[in-house]
Amino acid sequence: MTRFPLQSLALTAVALAALSLTACGKKEEVAAAPAAAPAAAMAAAPASCGKVSVANMNWQSAEVLAHIDNIILSKGYGCEVELVPGDTMPTLTAMMEKGQPDVAPEAWINAVRQPLDAAVAAGKLHYAAQALKDGGVEGWWVPKYIIDAHPEIKTIDDALKYPKLFPAPEAKGKGGVYNCPAGWNCQLTTVNAFKAWDAAKKGFVLVDTGSAAGLDGSIAKAYERKQGWLGYYWAPTAILGKYEMVKLDAGVPHNKEAFDTCNTKVDCDNPIKNDWAKSDVFTVVTDEFKKRGGPAVDYLNARAWDNQTVNTLLSWMSNNQATGADGAKHFLQTQPELWTTWVSPEVAAKVKASL
Amino acid sequence: MSAKSWLEEFPTMGAEGLSTLRRAIDGSFRGFSREYGEAFERLFDPLRDFLLFSEHLLTQSPWPIVLGVIALIAWIASRSWKIVAGTVFTLLAIGYFGMWDDTMKTISMIFVCTIVALVLGLPIGIAMSRWGRLEKTVSPALDVMQTMPSFVYLIPVVMLLGIGRVAGMLAVVIYAIPPVIRFTNLGIRLVDKDVLEAADAFGSSMWQKMVRVQLPLALPTIMAGINQTIMLSLAMVVVAAMIGVQGLGQPVLKAIANQYFTMGMFNGLAIVGIAIIFDRVSQTYGKRLQKHLEVVHG
Repeated sequence: MTRFPLQSLALTAVALAALSLTACGKKEEVAAAPAAAPAAAMAAAPASCGKVSVANMNWQSAEVLAHIDNIILSKGYGCEVELVPGDTMPTLTAMMEKGQPDVAPEAWINAVRQPLDAAVAAGKLHYAAQALKDGGVEGWWVPKYIIDAHPEIKTIDDALKYPKLFPAPEAKGKGGVYNCPAGWNCQLTTVNAFKAWDAAKKGFVLVDTGSAAGLDGSIAKAYERKQGWLGYYWAPTAILGKYEMVKLDAGVPHNKEAFDTCNTKVDCDNPIKNDWAKSDVFTVVTDEFKKRGGPAVDYLNARAWDNQTVNTLLSWMSNNQATGADGAKHFLQTQPELWTTWVSPEVAAKVKASL
Repeated sequence: MSAKSWLEEFPTMGAEGLSTLRRAIDGSFRGFSREYGEAFERLFDPLRDFLLFSEHLLTQSPWPIVLGVIALIAWIASRSWKIVAGTVFTLLAIGYFGMWDDTMKTISMIFVCTIVALVLGLPIGIAMSRWGRLEKTVSPALDVMQTMPSFVYLIPVVMLLGIGRVAGMLAVVIYAIPPVIRFTNLGIRLVDKDVLEAADAFGSSMWQKMVRVQLPLALPTIMAGINQTIMLSLAMVVVAAMIGVQGLGQPVLKAIANQYFTMGMFNGLAIVGIAIIFDRVSQTYGKRLQKHLEVVHG
């Protein structure tokens, strides 16, 4: 009896350790693969583009794009595509250091711009298409029905005049600003924006959401009941395709220097009001693949879409609880006028035949 | 589909049917939450206020007083200087490393969750020990509560109650309540038949038998169950943090997202620290009860 609690704690610890090990394992796999891949590609690449590893990032828009690349590259160009799980930092680091995976379809490069630009300058990596033409947008959003009822709310300053409209869940009589999940970079920018706009004095509190699931859940709950909601979010995302939200104007331009030195830092004592930068989102390919990819690389240089298309597709996926693969298929089936401009007519015909 | 025989491919209801089913269930749950969510939330308002009050008490009072009260409770329960010294030292170390506020928030959360689990769990356990049929129906439910991955029920809980302490508490209680129910049931069932016969012979009523004989004799086992409940609720701290519960879980999540090894380790160790305090104190209390009972009945 007495051993039991400690045992269960120990078990949890072991499970956690195992988890982190598998996580490391994945990265190492990604890192360890390159040695074999090019050789195999040389050997088994008659007319096709050979083996391609495509990073399947762990958010929805990137996932569906990776699956679209998977279908077009494998059916249209005869590549042997392998999707490898990824995340911004680990994937791009592996590409810089080890040259694997070959393609990152949707890389949000703002956070890694310096090392990435260095790698591009050194010729290790190359930018292909600007995958999201509009770039990623972030900021504070409110549901559209709030704006419809209160058209005078246009900027963050306007919204902060109405704490009653955006009730905080656990502080009576106060308004709430839903924060970005714990540990994400946007948590710092939101905390600093909260300070900069002096929201505490205006009767608001910051609401911890803990995780993306918590943040999404709070939006879904507010929307289903038509309650007020004010908080950090970003596009393109399924939530914004599903629940129509309006981004509040910051009322000030983006000040890059202040943003980099203060708004994104923990110990920023006097943050200024600052708009979020539009994130540049590119497809990134390795030098080695650019050299051997041939026409497949031309496709990656041409493939780009806008946020409206992505939001709509993501919301279709979320309404139908579709996977990234389902979403890719749906997109290729329903919007040929868009994707056929990315490829040559012969390739388009091959892809269409496979659907 | 048609090309493969039913032997090669498992006959499923089909992607179309499955997705319709999932959407139908999701839709009706959304409808339910739209309709009754508000009322549900009101229902939990007193608990929310209690959670906020207890957290306020622990975080706003001067730290020496809080430390003193915790040490006093540890002394009353354990009567062991070693345990009291260990408790004070652990808490001082936690405070020194800048985790006092988060730790107090976590302790307050665990405290309220344990109370709720006891208030609900003890009567259910007692009822189960009296009625075998109830035991048969509740046991599988307890199995589900302990094995169902918590993320699964976090989604509906958040839709109904929003994010924050109340939703977190519900998730913690669901996971942590089974031991106290099981051990209460077991403890009462394990009471010696001869003792019960003796009680009958003295003409005690059902109520007297339960309160004067069965519960006191089952107390050490019940204490073990309570101890387990506390430990399990501590294990849920990080999961609860994922739906916005403040405390030690938040920095752990932060550490996971950014690979801050030391930060994760410190906060993890703080959780372990308070777990050991709770464990030792409640266990020595259970043992003291046993000793005391042995003297009386032995």
